Amino acid sequence: MSDLEEFRNEVGTTGSVCVKGGGTRWDVGGEVGQGVRVVSAPSGIDAYDPAEMTVLVGAGTTLTALAEVLAEHRQEVALAGPVGSTVGGALAVGWNSIRRQRVGFARDALLQAECVGADGKRFKAGGPTVKNASGYELCRLLVGSLGTLALMGRVILRTTPIPEWSLWLRGSVTPADVVKSCYRPASILWDGSYSHVCLEGYEADVQREASALIDSGMVKVQGPPSLPPHRNRLTGDLPEGAILDVAIGVAHCPEAAAIQCVDPAVKCIADRMKANFDPHRRLNPNRDPYSVPA
Amino acid sequence: MVHKMPSGTDELIADLADAIGAGRVTAGGAAREIYGRDSSIIEGGHSGPVCFPESTRQIAECVRVAVAHGRDFVPRGAGTGLSGGAVPCNDPVVISTTRMNRILEVDVERRIAWVEPGVINLDLSRHLAGTGLHFAPDPSSQQACTIGGNLANNSGGPHCLAYGVTSEHVAAIEVVLSDASTVLLGAEVGDAVGYDLRGAFVGGEGTLGIAARIAVRLTPDPPVVRTLLLDFQSLVDAAETVTGIIAAGIVPAALEMMDRNTVEAVENFVEAGYPRDAEAVLIVELDGLEEGVTHEIKIVKRVGNENGVGTVRVAADDVERELIWKGRRNAFGAIAHIKPGYYLHDTVVPRTRLAEVVAKVNEAVERHDLIVANVFHAGDGNLHPLMAFDPREPGVMERVYAASEEIVRIAIEAGGVLSGEHGIGLEKRGFMPLLYSPDDLSAQRALRDAFDPVGHANPLKMFPTGSSCGDVMHLAEVPEGVWV
Amino acid sequence: MSPRGRIVLMRAAQTGGVDCDDEWYDAMETCMQCRGCEAACPAGVPFGELISGTRSAMSAVRRAPVHLRVGLWALTQHRLLLFGSRILAVLQRLRVIPRVGFLPRRLPLVGSRLSYRADGDVILFTGCVMDVWQPEVHDACQYVIEVTGSTVARSGPTAGCCGALHEHAGLHGTARRLAKQVVQALKGNEPVLVDSAGCGAALKAYGDLLGTPEARTFSDRVRDVHEWLEERMESLPSLPDGDRPGVIVQDPCHLRHVQGAHMSLRKVLSQYVDVVELNDDGLCCGAGGSYSLLQPELATAARDRKVDLITKASGLSGAELVVSANPGCSMHLAAVGLDVLHPMQVLAEVLEAGIDPEGVRDGQ
Repeated sequence: MSDLEEFRNEVGTTGSVCVKGGGTRWDVGGEVGQGVRVVSAPSGIDAYDPAEMTVLVGAGTTLTALAEVLAEHRQEVALAGPVGSTVGGALAVGWNSIRRQRVGFARDALLQAECVGADGKRFKAGGPTVKNASGYELCRLLVGSLGTLALMGRVILRTTPIPEWSLWLRGSVTPADVVKSCYRPASILWDGSYSHVCLEGYEADVQREASALIDSGMVKVQGPPSLPPHRNRLTGDLPEGAILDVAIGVAHCPEAAAIQCVDPAVKCIADRMKANFDPHRRLNPNRDPYSVPA
Repeated sequence: MVHKMPSGTDELIADLADAIGAGRVTAGGAAREIYGRDSSIIEGGHSGPVCFPESTRQIAECVRVAVAHGRDFVPRGAGTGLSGGAVPCNDPVVISTTRMNRILEVDVERRIAWVEPGVINLDLSRHLAGTGLHFAPDPSSQQACTIGGNLANNSGGPHCLAYGVTSEHVAAIEVVLSDASTVLLGAEVGDAVGYDLRGAFVGGEGTLGIAARIAVRLTPDPPVVRTLLLDFQSLVDAAETVTGIIAAGIVPAALEMMDRNTVEAVENFVEAGYPRDAEAVLIVELDGLEEGVTHEIKIVKRVGNENGVGTVRVAADDVERELIWKGRRNAFGAIAHIKPGYYLHDTVVPRTRLAEVVAKVNEAVERHDLIVANVFHAGDGNLHPLMAFDPREPGVMERVYAASEEIVRIAIEAGGVLSGEHGIGLEKRGFMPLLYSPDDLSAQRALRDAFDPVGHANPLKMFPTGSSCGDVMHLAEVPEGVWV
Repeated sequence: MSPRGRIVLMRAAQTGGVDCDDEWYDAMETCMQCRGCEAACPAGVPFGELISGTRSAMSAVRRAPVHLRVGLWALTQHRLLLFGSRILAVLQRLRVIPRVGFLPRRLPLVGSRLSYRADGDVILFTGCVMDVWQPEVHDACQYVIEVTGSTVARSGPTAGCCGALHEHAGLHGTARRLAKQVVQALKGNEPVLVDSAGCGAALKAYGDLLGTPEARTFSDRVRDVHEWLEERMESLPSLPDGDRPGVIVQDPCHLRHVQGAHMSLRKVLSQYVDVVELNDDGLCCGAGGSYSLLQPELATAARDRKVDLITKASGLSGAELVVSANPGCSMHLAAVGLDVLHPMQVLAEVLEAGIDPEGVRDGQ
């Protein structure tokens, strides 16, 4: 509890403030301006009961540190990010894992968030249990909000079991054909010529599905291909050098796509949301979840 | 007593009829009687005119006219909600989506279906028969409840243990807001840009606007499904088995528990072959690929044996499997074989504390001289303690309310929450401060006001408020001879 | 409108909480009385009793439309029915009358082509309109029963109409009178077999309707023909392996929800054909006794839905035959050009072809 209180004090009640995690995706949605106070969320794992499949963790904890602890009990979370990313950063950006079909959406991983609001008061969103329909879905609103509504200090995440077996295959089988011969591949990536498929589950099942793909010309590979840095929603043809995450419909591209105009009706709700949570626009100023390629 | 409509209602009805056609508006006593309630035990709601729009534009027209007359509006699906979310307060315009029941488009390749909000949950999966896909959320009322209602309550069901609640299966929503404008939230593909307003809208209980078209995600049918029935001589053993299965790294497709009273009542109706002499029965459904399912069956049996399981029955075929599920789905209603009335609670507790919480709940209910039956989604700790009583018995309701409050407090004290899938509605709005501080609630209020700044969308639901809802109490009188 | 909603309104009418205006009447009159809600109700709410009591009370206040009353009266007049129907059949063939929705497109000119006897091991209940409009169903039924080695007597005009439609329409008095007539005419101990689901359900309910020991004893003798055959499967011949036709089964509400005999039907049929399910939990086709005449719009909507399901099932399975064990359903569906047979007709056909591949059954 003490570190949360410290976090609240750091955020304070006035002046522009941003919270920085690993800084690995610091430019998503625009960089914060000059003269903005930078604070850090608490880090460390506060409670973890593998049988409950939830973990209480400081938002400043790195994904790697969390993954290490969870892996001891063969569990993981749905969050994804480059080396050095923090839990809070991954939630604020809200990108889904390429293994989304296996681990789920990032936004569904957040069960509870203890936050500091723009008024400098602490509040709690969601609840500690794996299922909760008590009140509004604030947690989902916070994921992907780039810290513009509130600053997350400590969160409870849902964990999932790490599969017994996992392997990647690559070959010219189309994603549509992969889907036909596999039940629920953890990931299907498509680079325009080749599919990169991740199969996960029990060893015998994975091997059986893999052998069907191998029969159609796919080969086992070490892991996923390296992904280009920019995430664009796929509209039209897949650009040169891009890799499509088939399940999510996101294209990992060498170039950032143009930022699309937001439907004014959506922007209208978003603006009211921002005004209601942060009327003086002091939280992560200049960062805008709508200023991302679409 | 026939409730009188407030003044100006005639003009309101005329304007609604002008806007969407007289055949889509009704304001007679019969309609108001029916639309004055949902499937909760909450009585005393009063509906104003009831509208049956058939398009997004007509929904918007209903909203526009209602707000222009200074009236609130209450969206309504099939009225199967259990927390009073659709119970109208202060003669609002009730907007029923039941005539908007078309499945607009099914894209098998992209696994998306666009549906109107009045499509019945089970009808969608039936419609998908032969495609190898289904709609995963499966509340027990799935034969009757609508997808719009599922969305409003972020409904669960037994299979949300493995597949997730409704929110995870909604890609995009066309919403009519309280200013009668229409907006598309979420996206069929890609990570939606900006705030997850789609996610915020789901579970909004109709207080944020009305879903007019919904893009739902479809889930592939598992190649192998096995349903197991385990019986135990003690509830604690059954609960330990639940914890043991999860701790072994298995997330079953469903993991349900029923206690002795429930089994007794259900067997009278379905004869599903549940062992009547057991103190607790677990339904464990495992699905996926052959080897994995076989392996998991072994683990479930081992964990069961470690916890003193009586017998483990694996359903031999689809007929037996369906019978086991039929029993589970009808468990609430079957309680009428014990007493004519029931009041069902929905709370969630940490799944490792199930046994302890159920024991405390049972003790509390029995102390109030009521019969308790437990049937619940054990896998995610979602309790459904159910109090059976005869509402004609003098003073019984006071005991029911007292026991209810204790149940909620027991759950919160154990680190739980108010509701897992039935929502807050009118029923539990008074309990919100038990779980949330004033600052927590302010944040929720900020979300609500962003969608509905004028406050005409299903007001008085969800938040504890001083304002009364006509003569509705947070738990009001049960009608005589209640069957629901 | 849900059964729950209707119960709320019934109760409100009882306590004076609501005016029994047109809307209220409409709510009660739009119930198809399929009783699917009863089969689905885990609490065992006797909705059938509630709605028929309500309809009965309603009929005391508001009379049914004149065409319905004339129609229901005609059902009780077997000779008139036969005579009128034959005239209509002739007129149909002369193309001097337009097609009327509920009438079969081609009324039969002659009745049963099978000889039958005054006493038998079982009595086949022949009813009113079915005897006149679908005599071939009774013939098929009799053929199948006889294949098992039993002899068949027919209830005939003395027993007459079962009164199901009258009870359905709230004409409680007439229904009781007709029930007494049936019980009186069919004394004895032999089983009374019924091939119309609506009639069967009515006959089985005579015990409650009349409340007399005779009526109860009578009701205990009543069996849907499929239930009776299910217990005698060993008496039915096993046929050489051959093509098993796919047959789409449309469950009449009164077979499935009221009598619960739909599984017997499947068991009997599936010995010879591949049963194709509609997977709609026995949703009503919209015929609903006289419902299709009184609420044409809703009945048509229900039928459209059923036809869609049948088309889809046919597409998925390749099955072309559709069966329904109730004349009301088959006529309602036939009105949109769907050929619906009685399960006994399919069975008779298959058995006959299997037993005597060269021969042709008498009268077919």
